[in-house]
Amino acid sequence: MRLNTSASVISYAKQLEADSAAFYENMAERYPKAKEISLTFSKENSNYATMIQRAYYGVITDAIEGCFAFSVETDKYTFEREPAKEPGFADALNQAIDMEQKLISFYTDAAEQSKAFMADVPRTFLIVAKKRKGREDKLRTLLKET
Amino acid sequence: MAILEEPVKGILEVKNYIDGEWVESKGEIQDVVNPLNGKVIGRVPISTKEEIDAAVEAAKAAFPDWRTTPPVARARCLFRLKELLEANFEEVSRVQTQEHGKTIDESRGETRRGIENVEVACGIPTLMQGYNSEDIASGIDEYLIPTPLGVFGIIGPFNFPFMIPLWSAPYAVATGNCVVIKPSSEVPLSQMKIAELVDEAGFPPGVWNVVNGGRTVVNGMLDHPDIEGITFVGSTPTAKDVIYPRCGATGKRVIAQGGASNFMVIMPDCNLRATIPALMTSFFGNAGQRCLAGQNVIVVGDDDRFYKAFIDGVVDTARKIVIGNGLDEEVQMGPVRDAEKKKKILSYISSGIEEGAKVILDGRSDFKIKGDYPDTCFLGSTIMENVKPEMKIVTEEIFGPTMGILRVKTLDEAIKICDDNPFHNADAIFTSNGRTAREFKYRVKSGNVGINVGIVAPMAFFPFSGMPDSFFGILHTQGKEAIRFFTESKVVIERWP
Repeated sequence: MRLNTSASVISYAKQLEADSAAFYENMAERYPKAKEISLTFSKENSNYATMIQRAYYGVITDAIEGCFAFSVETDKYTFEREPAKEPGFADALNQAIDMEQKLISFYTDAAEQSKAFMADVPRTFLIVAKKRKGREDKLRTLLKET
Repeated sequence: MAILEEPVKGILEVKNYIDGEWVESKGEIQDVVNPLNGKVIGRVPISTKEEIDAAVEAAKAAFPDWRTTPPVARARCLFRLKELLEANFEEVSRVQTQEHGKTIDESRGETRRGIENVEVACGIPTLMQGYNSEDIASGIDEYLIPTPLGVFGIIGPFNFPFMIPLWSAPYAVATGNCVVIKPSSEVPLSQMKIAELVDEAGFPPGVWNVVNGGRTVVNGMLDHPDIEGITFVGSTPTAKDVIYPRCGATGKRVIAQGGASNFMVIMPDCNLRATIPALMTSFFGNAGQRCLAGQNVIVVGDDDRFYKAFIDGVVDTARKIVIGNGLDEEVQMGPVRDAEKKKKILSYISSGIEEGAKVILDGRSDFKIKGDYPDTCFLGSTIMENVKPEMKIVTEEIFGPTMGILRVKTLDEAIKICDDNPFHNADAIFTSNGRTAREFKYRVKSGNVGINVGIVAPMAFFPFSGMPDSFFGILHTQGKEAIRFFTESKVVIERWP
């Protein structure tokens, strides 16, 4: 599905944050050694969704290209809401890394598309992408230790 | 993506808000229709002369107490209103989409702009400060005190039902005046919602009044001796031939904003990737129904390769615009407000063709509506080439989703076309050359000038400018100019022998 409007991209971003939070909650339940970090990530997701919504509501006006600022192909960014059933902890971590990479790529692509139009929204997207990069590094460290 | 829930479920009975009470009108009742599907979502009264008189009387009675209320206390009422508007942001935005048809992004943008005016007016304790000179002669001081005048009338249009009355009302009441607002009878629900929040915010009765209706209410405002001034946004014929002269005849202050036929000047060095979306928003946003919308593009230069790339880009992008229900978050363009307006837009397209323009994207037929809705009020984007400055589609305001394309050799010719047009509301240039941009900005006769910006909508702390035949008056709405408009300069010279 292609999304062009700010309203649809913001809703999609919020949905990705909710899905990713669901993934980490599931991971916390299944792998006690990742409980703390997973629940922290899940909570951060909720903050990111709030930041994104606040940036959008704060900046949207008739002077900017709200309906024409994006060209997001959502198929590129889909991921599973929960870790795969059978595999072990290392596979779940790899799945989480893959998910984070998709989310980083979504936020970076969306920021690039809208940077000339949506002012604070692409800036916020890049902040979230940067935070997620830090998260990816943490997950990789955890994977090495496993 | 799901379609957002409609806030108006049944049929809202719109009442007048006079002296802090919701009052039934004795006037005839008119349906408020959602242009998306023809569904009646409200009933609005066409109020009588007695009702507008009652509102003015209530405002006049409220004025002495309100003007002596300290500006900081008046600001606190506005702060409460701002908080309530934020809390109801999504609901009031969706109401706009339901009554007008615009997309949810556009409605949220309108809400944000409206709230920004309330925010700016919250600064009234400093905005309203006067100035002084000590010792204009030995032992004599002189100072200026901005003082409120009394009652102001605010007449709103159909295209921005929420925002436009807020270009004036917050400043009017912040400065100590009282207001009577007449929303467009086609889209009265947004102002009703605002009045509910005004009521909740605790403004004293009579400070903020809303009277629904048509000509009788407008005439009642224009003729009323107790109304000190009028702000109006609507068509140029009404602004120029009715509002402006009649305010003059009755000694009222006036801000009369009319129509437009704006140009977007495209230089061959512009960044097409950024320019095309800006043009889509300018020409087709709000279905072209705004006085800041681009109506015609002027492509400068004789670079045919650039021209072809430009035309291919705009036509291809415009063709793909998703048209449908504004509450569907994927939709990029909603319907026009009603079938009559659609008919008028169609007649302009026909007139363009008769005068020699060539349709390269036909929004009369070449469009698809997303979802199962009647096409009564829908149009696609129309793009016409071979447009000449003397054609009606250039000299008159279309107010619909159309783009005419003119070609000239030089920037001088482009500026001349802008300046020779009867309207001077908003013109913009798209270029990567600072010198060209400065030249355009410096020379073009236009109230609002854009550089790589397609909708030149001034923020609330700048005036919403305009020049004839798009504007009649001296001061403008919004910001410091609004503060001046709503106050008289009282000058005091003081000596203590």
